[in-house]
Amino acid sequence: MDLSTPVRDALAELLLTLADDEFVLGYWDSEWTGIAPMLEEDVAMSSVSQDEIGHARAWYELVASLTDDDADRLAYGRAPEEYRHAALMNHARTDWAFTVARRFLYEHADAARLESLARSSYSPLAELAVKMRREETYHLMHFEIWLRRLAEAGGEARERLAAALERLGPDAATVFSPLAGEAALVEAGILPDPLDALRSRWLERVGPVCEALGLPAPDGAAALPPDGRTRRTDEFAWLHGELTMVARSEEAATW
Amino acid sequence: MSEPQDRVWEVFRQEAEGDPMVHGGSVRAPDEELALHYAREFYGRRQESHRLWVVARDSIVELDDPDLLDPPFDRSHKRPGGYIIKHKLEAAKARAATTGAPEVEE
Amino acid sequence: MNDQALTDAFYAHVMGGGKVEADDWMPDDYRAALLKFVEMHANSELMGVLPEREWILRAPTLRRKLALTSKVQDEVGHAQLLYRVAEDLGKPREQMLADLLAGKTKFHNVFHYPTRSWGDVGIIAWLVDAAAIVSQQALRDSSYAPYARTMKKICWEESVHIMHGRDVVLTLMNGTDAQRAMVQEALDRWWGPLMQMHGPKTDPATDRDLIWKIKSKHNEQLRQEFLSIYVPRILELGLTIPDPALRYDQAEGRWQYTEPDWDELRSVVTGHGPMSQQRLEFRRTSRDDTQWVRDAIIGPATVAAA
Repeated sequence: MDLSTPVRDALAELLLTLADDEFVLGYWDSEWTGIAPMLEEDVAMSSVSQDEIGHARAWYELVASLTDDDADRLAYGRAPEEYRHAALMNHARTDWAFTVARRFLYEHADAARLESLARSSYSPLAELAVKMRREETYHLMHFEIWLRRLAEAGGEARERLAAALERLGPDAATVFSPLAGEAALVEAGILPDPLDALRSRWLERVGPVCEALGLPAPDGAAALPPDGRTRRTDEFAWLHGELTMVARSEEAATW
Repeated sequence: MSEPQDRVWEVFRQEAEGDPMVHGGSVRAPDEELALHYAREFYGRRQESHRLWVVARDSIVELDDPDLLDPPFDRSHKRPGGYIIKHKLEAAKARAATTGAPEVEE
Repeated sequence: MNDQALTDAFYAHVMGGGKVEADDWMPDDYRAALLKFVEMHANSELMGVLPEREWILRAPTLRRKLALTSKVQDEVGHAQLLYRVAEDLGKPREQMLADLLAGKTKFHNVFHYPTRSWGDVGIIAWLVDAAAIVSQQALRDSSYAPYARTMKKICWEESVHIMHGRDVVLTLMNGTDAQRAMVQEALDRWWGPLMQMHGPKTDPATDRDLIWKIKSKHNEQLRQEFLSIYVPRILELGLTIPDPALRYDQAEGRWQYTEPDWDELRSVVTGHGPMSQQRLEFRRTSRDDTQWVRDAIIGPATVAAA
């Protein structure tokens, strides 16, 4: 498929948002490896975080093919303000309830997004989306089990979960922040649905789950902040310092 | 709401299509849903299994007297190796050769 | 049969190469020795997670990030497999974790040391895992069959770790001067603990674990095996092993080396290593932080169904 320069730039921007979401969330959740609540869950959570890094790698490679760049350079060679992950991913790992709440909100958002992208007119993108959905289905099942279990346990577990959902609610919808070249992507069929339509679909799914469990649902009426994918926090700055520590320690080295 | 209950689940795996289900190990989980997820992690994350079963350990019944599997009298008639025919076959062939059994048509 | 006759028959069985299953009757002293052995092994896998975990956020490429996270995940998985074996011998997982965190039970010396550079990630995955796999392979013949079966699975997974470690080391050795220096510096620090790892020479005639075939090789056998395979592989990369006395003695058919510092080993495994207390404290904190989850999901810490 021949892409005009503005469409190609917009596509690269879209792919970078997908990559950075998976990359940053994969990093935060990989911190659970070795210290999760139970040994069995430790291994399960680690697989999820590895899946996300694997997805990030695939998206970065696709970006790199469009912009004549390199996947590792994109992952480890940018300044904090150049990352394009949603504000939802700015927060540190925090506690298990926070992790479950964020996973629940994000997995549903990612599912809505991937369902749509699987129909993209840009076949390399559509093919990756189809493959990723196979893994994400399991993630969604896994974290819905956890959401339900923590909610139904009552007491401290339920309180922590509700507090995490309250705190994350305003940032959750930033996954659907509008992109600069979005209209051109929709017109070319590369992005089969406008992001705002995907946001509605997402709300239709997470809302009823939260209501059934008596948990706070994200506010569907709230306006999206303009800096949904550009805001950076101290927590992310810390993570960025860690994840680039070795990579930047030796100029032009191979690792 | 029932009390959470941690249980041991035995995991059986089939390595390749057509193979028997073989005991792999065990996981601890509060319900069969998570037990299956954990079985998938511990016995499938390297694509080493084609199929998985989980069974609550307390559902397994064991024949606990090994003596019942070790019969004291001769059971050689139940095994192919219990039939030693080499010498009998040789004798039968020799006998057939001398008494002029019918030739087999080529 | 009376108790003594049962006991005699049991030991005749294991010493003759027979296997024992979890439900089989076993003498208390066999059970105790076995539990102690497996529990320390499980503790080591669990504590062995921490030194490498410190680099999970710092891995320098996407592939290294995946490989390292996956390796540390495997160690957690091995801890689970081994605690399952130990649990079925009658000691609840919660009790074993409590004893570990209270300093009542031990874990291997190598996990009491700090990691200082990416070079450590390579040296640990290559050489510490190699030294461990030499002993673990010998445990595939253990008289306790559930342990032997678990070791088969673990050894199969560990072989990937050694390749990952060797690949990290080779990449660094083919890199810049600073990267090569990073590997040499890591090797210099890890050599002492590596030589101590299999423990002092013991008399095979009185080593209970060996006689009962809980393990099948003695300490010096394991160390010699490790040296035979890995000394040539280290030297061929242009690295220097920090022991001037190290050489293969053709006449005796064994490696000669400077006597490892056994006082250091004893001090380290009893909780006086450079990182012993920090690592235990980190585990205590992370366990406390997630106690509410276990209370909610699996109920208050009690004995798991045996």
